[in-house]
Amino acid sequence: KHLVLLRDGRTLIGYLRSIDQFANLVLHQTVERIHVGKKYGDIPRGIFVVRGENVVLLGEIDLEKESDTPLQQVSIEEILEEQRVEQQAKQESEKLKVQALKERGLSVPRADTLDEY
Amino acid sequence: EPNDLGDPAVMRAVQSKPTLESQDSAVLDSRIGACWAEFGKEDMLPMDPAGWGSCPASIPSPHGLEDKAILQVLERPPPSTNVALDFLGSPMQRGYGGSPRLKRPNLRLMSPKSFPQRFLRQQSPLMPPSPCSPRPFVPTRRPSPLFSSNQTAGYASPTPFRPMSPNISSPPQPLAMHFGPMSPSLDPTLFFSPSASGQLNLSVPSHMTQLHPQHQRILTQRQQQGRQAQSMSPKKLWSPKADPYAGLMTSKEKDWVVKVEMIQLQSENMDDDYYYQMYYHRLERKQAEEELLGGRNKQEPPKLVTPFIQKVETYDSVVRIAGSLGQVAVSTCYSPRRAIDAVHHALVEEVAVSGAGCNCCAFLSPLLKAAGSHRLRALHRIEKLFLQLLEVEETQRKMSLAPEGKQPCCEEQKSQEVERIYQVLKIRACRSEEEAEDEFLQLLCVRKGKKLTARLLPHLTREQAEKILLTITHHLPFLMKKDMDGAVAVMGETVSDSCSPLCPAQSLSLLYSPLNEVVGGMTFSKLIEVLQKMTRPLPESPELPLAMALKNQFGISLLYSLLSHGERLLSSDVPLEPRSGDFEMWTDTVFLVARELSQVPKTSLVEPLFLPSNLLSLFCRYLDKQTVHHLEAKMECSPLPSEAAMPC
Repeated sequence: KHLVLLRDGRTLIGYLRSIDQFANLVLHQTVERIHVGKKYGDIPRGIFVVRGENVVLLGEIDLEKESDTPLQQVSIEEILEEQRVEQQAKQESEKLKVQALKERGLSVPRADTLDEY
Repeated sequence: EPNDLGDPAVMRAVQSKPTLESQDSAVLDSRIGACWAEFGKEDMLPMDPAGWGSCPASIPSPHGLEDKAILQVLERPPPSTNVALDFLGSPMQRGYGGSPRLKRPNLRLMSPKSFPQRFLRQQSPLMPPSPCSPRPFVPTRRPSPLFSSNQTAGYASPTPFRPMSPNISSPPQPLAMHFGPMSPSLDPTLFFSPSASGQLNLSVPSHMTQLHPQHQRILTQRQQQGRQAQSMSPKKLWSPKADPYAGLMTSKEKDWVVKVEMIQLQSENMDDDYYYQMYYHRLERKQAEEELLGGRNKQEPPKLVTPFIQKVETYDSVVRIAGSLGQVAVSTCYSPRRAIDAVHHALVEEVAVSGAGCNCCAFLSPLLKAAGSHRLRALHRIEKLFLQLLEVEETQRKMSLAPEGKQPCCEEQKSQEVERIYQVLKIRACRSEEEAEDEFLQLLCVRKGKKLTARLLPHLTREQAEKILLTITHHLPFLMKKDMDGAVAVMGETVSDSCSPLCPAQSLSLLYSPLNEVVGGMTFSKLIEVLQKMTRPLPESPELPLAMALKNQFGISLLYSLLSHGERLLSSDVPLEPRSGDFEMWTDTVFLVARELSQVPKTSLVEPLFLPSNLLSLFCRYLDKQTVHHLEAKMECSPLPSEAAMPC
């Protein structure tokens, strides 16, 4: 069972079934785990085939320690809601920041990479 | 296993002892380097650390060595961090026992300095000494003769996880244990396969996989725990039923992936991996400092172990597919792209060798006969000539469209071009022995060459065209044979059955139409001359060319065409102006043809491309009615208008 971190910030957990030299991955019984604060929620996704270039890192999950976590699992709806809230807050703070900088004559170049994470 | 990686051009895993150059020790972070203790999986488990005695010489396998060492390390952090290199060099002394092949002079050790602390920390969960005797290995497990001299296949060199602790006062004794199906010839390192299944990892790490020591440790841990649990309770913790999807990747596939990645690490180019290089330099520098400070023996930092896979330095960069004009680009990571060279190589070689033109056939023939170079050269020439011919035709076309005034000069130019092409063809009647060498004939052996000639014929002068006809007729047996011999090989096999749809031979037929035209314009004498070629006996065969022609579509068509023309000439009012002996020759020929036709079995007789209608009349002139009927039936001619009307 592995945990995969993707370039877009998603966290996938699933059974790694196959790889190749490009680090393309085949994940089975995959679950996308969303973390907000101390809470997390799992969205079942099924089978994933991930293109290698999108993988940031990958690690094996220690099944014993897996349950041994301070994080609290919540329902999908709840975590999505939490995520939305978090996103909103982030956006607002970002907006304020940009505004403040603009007032001082500085402009932040837009990040145009794909790596949002 | 030359095709292990599926790309023979790239590399081959060589079953050989790794050379010194390829031997690098493992890259280990100086801090976590100590973790190779985990190396010996469950072997370590049951070992009673206290029971480490001097290693008996009866150590069953070299594999035991590192286990012992690991155990030692685990159990007893070295009191001093003095690592003597020769520790490894002479394992016997240390009681690592076993085989002298354990010596690996180029092993490099890690600094053991930081070793103990980490080790101690990590040790505890790992090795609860258990009194139980070791379970026999999981059968698929392969021992890791790190020090095996039989290191083969260039997999990870033995060094990665060197037992560091030099001060093993009591070498581990458990080597007497059975470590499973060990054979010295096995692969160097024992690795875990990155299986996705749960704790109990029954799948064996392949000998190819090289794991980070920490990873190794964790896996060992897991296995040990699993095994412990298992041994404690009969109930299986893990069963295949729980995870039917496990093991989708075979160990072979895993090996392959690892191999690919490892190979990528091999590089002569020092700039390839800047970060690794920098890191390594720093490490070296640090150790050098320590060395100076501590006055210790020189220790070298471990280097990355890459499996010894010999990169094939030279590879078959030129791949010639049968029948192709040029070379196929073989692109590998060493040479991304190679443009297709049209035969330049072959020609250059030949010219260089011969140092002369193609005229010294006798000298060159052994050389030229090499590997289809004939064909290639012929193809090359054909291509060049074709280009010229196409230009000519283009000019012709423009000429026909252009107004009258411009024609003469273009005409002149065109005929010059045509002349040039004709000259290049070097058409000459040569002896039979030289057929293989004659350039024009070689051209004709190739379908495209025939096409070229066929297209060229209309542009040639009468003389030139007739000369070609003469040459072709002269060498008709040769050409027919070549035609049937599969100048085109289908799927590498000659299709000899001319009726088979697969048989693409008979390209001679391409020449029929233009030659027919040529025949149609010949004088009687010329005709006789041509016919003589067909009736002359051959030195190497009892059969007349004539008879052979009957069995070849082109041959029979040409023959009929010639006869038909003769008949046409005879029955016309045009004065023939024959030379002396022409008529006799003519009648002789007709008789010969008739004879051969009647003798040849119907099944061998090939249907011509075109059956002239005046052949029967021709036969009627000279032969009796019965014979004519017979021939008629044979040739499947449409009967003459009325038998009564036959002039016989």
